[in-house]
Amino acid sequence: MTLQPTAEGDLLIEEIPAFLLELLREIPVRAASKHPGVEERFLPDPANDDGIREDWKALVQPELMALFQSDRETVQADLRGVAAKKMGAALRIPKNHSDAWMGALNQARLAIAEEGGFGEADMAAEVAPDPGDPRGMALFQVGFYGFLQECLVRMQD
Amino acid sequence: MPSLDSPEQETKSGLDTPWNVVVHNDPVNLMSYVSLIFRRVFGFSKEKAEQHMMEVHRRGRSIVWTGAREKAELYVQQLHSHLLLATLERTQP
Repeated sequence: MTLQPTAEGDLLIEEIPAFLLELLREIPVRAASKHPGVEERFLPDPANDDGIREDWKALVQPELMALFQSDRETVQADLRGVAAKKMGAALRIPKNHSDAWMGALNQARLAIAEEGGFGEADMAAEVAPDPGDPRGMALFQVGFYGFLQECLVRMQD
Repeated sequence: MPSLDSPEQETKSGLDTPWNVVVHNDPVNLMSYVSLIFRRVFGFSKEKAEQHMMEVHRRGRSIVWTGAREKAELYVQQLHSHLLLATLERTQP
């Protein structure tokens, strides 16, 4: 798989193997997790104050949920046209979609980590996770999404 | 060199108790992403954003802004929209 910025500021990812293409397609799915811990993580309390929390729940959280969904839909639309090919698929992330991609990748990483109960030690582990077991696969997925997110962050400089 | 002991502070009227915007550590969010969001939301320089990010990482929290409640709420909302763990706290008298 190769990644390179284009002259227009897009990110072009080419020669994507089928296995990684499948992980890319899972971004909006994993990000939309219904796990109760994930909702709690996505919508944390803003303050240790009941009044503020109630207002937040009524006024702010619906806006946040709509924003998160919008990011997922943008990513899903970009992925819709990507076809698996023998030599690997290609995906272009337009510059004006990079915020949505960073957001959706972050959602997916946080959701997977929440579902798996990953903590500081898991995230800092220097040993490559074993994709052969479910926990290792989930850690690999978090790492792969983190790599893409890092590429997009660096393109902002 | 900006000091982390003196977070961004808005001039306040005597009527309004200032509130802190506090960002808390999260093992999953990328450090580079947290820095980028600090730059975007608060207009920090790259150096200042990285200092606050490192304070979050090492000490578990960093006060990134202090000022009126309404604006503090807006900042926390923006940080939540990027899935950073942020809260507002009334400053100690």
